[in-house]
Amino acid sequence: MVFGLLAALASAAAASTVDEKELDIRTREVAKTLRCTVCQTENIWESGSPFARQLRENVRERLEQGQSPEEIRAYFLSRYGDYILMQPPTRGVNWLVWLGPFALLLVGGALLYRTLNRWVTRTPVPPAVEPLDEPSRRRIERELHS
Amino acid sequence: MTRGWQIALVVGLLGLLILFYQGLWGNPRLIPTVLIGTQAPNFSGPGVESSGTLSLDQFKGKVVMLNFWASWCIECGLEHENLLTLNERFGRDPNFVMLGINYQDKQDDALDYLRRRGSNFAHVRDVKGAISFDYGVYGVPETFVLDQQGVIRCKTIGPIIGDVFAKYSQRLLPGLLSGSSEPVAC
Amino acid sequence: MIIELGHFAVVTALVLSLLGIAAPILGLWTRNSDWIRVGRQAVTLIFVLLGIGIAALEYAYLTRDFSVAYVASTSNSKLPLFYTIAALWGGHEGSLLLWVFILSAFSAVAVWLHWRTQPAIMPYLIAVESSVMFGFLMLIIFLSNPFERIFPAPLEGKDLNPLLQDPAMTMHPPLLYMGYVGFSIPFAFAMAALFSGRLGEEWIKVTQRWTIFAWMCLTVGIMMGGYWAYYELGWGGYWGWDPVENASFMPWLVGTAFLHSVMVQEKRKMFKVWNLFLIIVTFSLSLIGTFLVRSGVLTSVHTFATDPERGLYILIFLAVVMGTAFGTLIARAGKLKSQIELDSIVSRESVFMFNNLFFLVAAATVFLGTLYPLMIETWKGSKVTVGPPYYNAVFMPIALGLLFLMGVGPYIAWRKASLDNIKKNFLIPLIAAFGVTALALALGFRSPFTIAGAFVVGFVTTTIATDLGKVSAFFARRDRVNYARGLLTAFAANQRRYAGIVTHVGVLVLVIGIIASTVYQTEKVVSLRTGDEFTMGPYRLTLTEIRDVRGPNWTAKEGRFELYRGDRLLTEMRPQKRIYDASQTPTTESAIYAINMGHVFLTMPEIAPDGTATARGVINPLILWVWGGGAIMGFGVLLNIFRPRRRDE
Repeated sequence: MVFGLLAALASAAAASTVDEKELDIRTREVAKTLRCTVCQTENIWESGSPFARQLRENVRERLEQGQSPEEIRAYFLSRYGDYILMQPPTRGVNWLVWLGPFALLLVGGALLYRTLNRWVTRTPVPPAVEPLDEPSRRRIERELHS
Repeated sequence: MTRGWQIALVVGLLGLLILFYQGLWGNPRLIPTVLIGTQAPNFSGPGVESSGTLSLDQFKGKVVMLNFWASWCIECGLEHENLLTLNERFGRDPNFVMLGINYQDKQDDALDYLRRRGSNFAHVRDVKGAISFDYGVYGVPETFVLDQQGVIRCKTIGPIIGDVFAKYSQRLLPGLLSGSSEPVAC
Repeated sequence: MIIELGHFAVVTALVLSLLGIAAPILGLWTRNSDWIRVGRQAVTLIFVLLGIGIAALEYAYLTRDFSVAYVASTSNSKLPLFYTIAALWGGHEGSLLLWVFILSAFSAVAVWLHWRTQPAIMPYLIAVESSVMFGFLMLIIFLSNPFERIFPAPLEGKDLNPLLQDPAMTMHPPLLYMGYVGFSIPFAFAMAALFSGRLGEEWIKVTQRWTIFAWMCLTVGIMMGGYWAYYELGWGGYWGWDPVENASFMPWLVGTAFLHSVMVQEKRKMFKVWNLFLIIVTFSLSLIGTFLVRSGVLTSVHTFATDPERGLYILIFLAVVMGTAFGTLIARAGKLKSQIELDSIVSRESVFMFNNLFFLVAAATVFLGTLYPLMIETWKGSKVTVGPPYYNAVFMPIALGLLFLMGVGPYIAWRKASLDNIKKNFLIPLIAAFGVTALALALGFRSPFTIAGAFVVGFVTTTIATDLGKVSAFFARRDRVNYARGLLTAFAANQRRYAGIVTHVGVLVLVIGIIASTVYQTEKVVSLRTGDEFTMGPYRLTLTEIRDVRGPNWTAKEGRFELYRGDRLLTEMRPQKRIYDASQTPTTESAIYAINMGHVFLTMPEIAPDGTATARGVINPLILWVWGGGAIMGFGVLLNIFRPRRRDE
């Protein structure tokens, strides 16, 4: 029994609980914002390609040296251009793609509203009829909602 | 459907088809890198075949042709002979130097590759990829040409074969070596 | 020999497709229905011949005939049987053949099914389907031939891409193609209506089941692709907004707009031109989606071996189809001056129109995001990435808007919704929406996506629940049975409507799953050796051993992890790092454990020679709601398709 206890103690000493280092977490955060340039549309954290792996290590080293995420991004931006970011930077002609959908929605919505209005004003109002009795009214309401 | 919408539809369709057509013929090799016209970053690293350290600074004042390659890269194999030929042709000029940068590779594989295909210029090992990051490289082969002031003038993505090889051999390199200030055909 | 037979069969099919175009036209011209019959035989025969072509190719796969270039490039003698059969659509040439085979099957079924009831449509249906088949078959025979031989025949095949050696991935292309192809039937009917000038509601009623069937296939096909990406590519996500995914999503979006909009035409005989426009756009996007991913237009920088010839043919084919379809629409649209009678903007017709607006803007957004890099490259020569951060910011609000409309549409009255009607149907849901939002805030949720989602989901759930409750109560009271029976009676009384509600419920479930698994996903990456453990949320994982395992055509290093919650052992998880024998390609196989309708997701991206493993654990809350939601959506469609026919159908 003593032997068993010693064995258990020994194995407990060898094994350990590991956790992410803070540096790893920060690397992950920055890596998720850089594009893997040889992949379809993955960031360098998701990608398993060797290029992505090397870039991750480079990011890690830079963080260790004390560079900020913005500085790291700026460095890669200066070497690879806008392509290395995961979304088009919000400047210049890129506003087209960022605001385009909302503009389309607004303009489309306005046009639609105007068209609907035109149809409504064009539609003749049906002549006034006797108010319906309750059962008939309820039946008609139900029909209209099916 | 009013006239206005009809015209919009036709214009939209034509625009789309033209865009697709452009996409077909667009040449990915001619993506202008953001580094054109900028000072080439210095680098240094262990040689592939030699034991010393090589750095870009050693070749200040020369026209430098920087070729990123790897032993596992098929297209690199396609262009290797042309690179040797270019070096033979222009290497005699004291103002020209060709350098290879071995990218994401094992030294043994790289040596084996050079032994099989021949080597007449120096190669540097990019151990951690720092050199390739500095140059905005993301695959191989990629080739940069620096002028005598150390400014990056040209970048070619893809193997230097066919028309590209002819351009390097007949217009690009002679143009830069002549020291003329004319813009180069990139 | 067999291969040559298959090749010959496909060439014959190509010739017959020309007959399929000419015969009906001749029949219309000479007013002789015998020619139409010839067209029907042609379509039937094309199906048989393409079946022979597929069978011949499968024969080559099963007999490991590597003298066929395509077989050699997508299979291997050690490839398991299941994947050998599926390898037929594992590459470009074979998958095109599958596409046109499915098209021929659907065409044949449509022609035979509607022969007696839709004689006027027949010639156009046959001609249109034959034209599309002709286009594909030309591409296959001349530019993408899977039957080509290679001399000398290699001794061993290159192997099917290991990423495709997976059940979900084998089902994904056939389902997707069934979706694309399925939309060709309503498209053909629409073209028939345009060409013939008979522009009534007939074609909508007849094609309703085709439309939702195609929609279901496309939905499930897209979900399968997402599921595959989830566990095969190994990063715990299922949708990357990459061009290939977007290419299939766009026809889905417009197709959904279409299937809603035609309900208005059925009920009120309005929006005829609009619906014709929508189905032409849907099918065009199907074609664009099929081709965009093979033409070389959407490639990454380092793809040098694109074939511009093939891409050019595809582009010309697209131009002809879209030009003819839209051109005919413009030419004939004048004849369709439908008197649109709208009594009020506050009405179901109006909501359907806003539904369409949102879906089309959504499709336009995906389109813009996918093609913007190409536009910028063409115009300015620089490159940008349009990745998930863009879509999350721009697409999600539109999606939430659509979801809100989904709660309004089914419950607002046709023609003119009275204030009474609005109060009765929407007051309580709105209150509930605010309530759920307040609850979410109180529980500490802060992400704007979650809060907005809480509001919309609360609203829609309440509208659906109230409706189901009221109608079950009504029938329960009427028939003096319990609520469950009441619900079933209500369902049977209006199966089409409630099948649609089921699909909407599926959408709700899907959206909740998406919000939970995206916003609240947690991740941890550690390096550990045997005996070490790490915690992740409420779970604890211990690496007990790393061992070598062997599969039919691969070897792997498998890590054995014990998953604990507290002190309770839940399961053993076995992620692998595999190397496939033939291609020496490595893959990361993930280990997944389902708990609380979510997943604990574990991969082992690297194993160092010294035995240190990198483990990547992800907790995906409520991810089963994503797949479950998709399944419910599909189930709703099945309930819709297999409903008892009413007198007016």
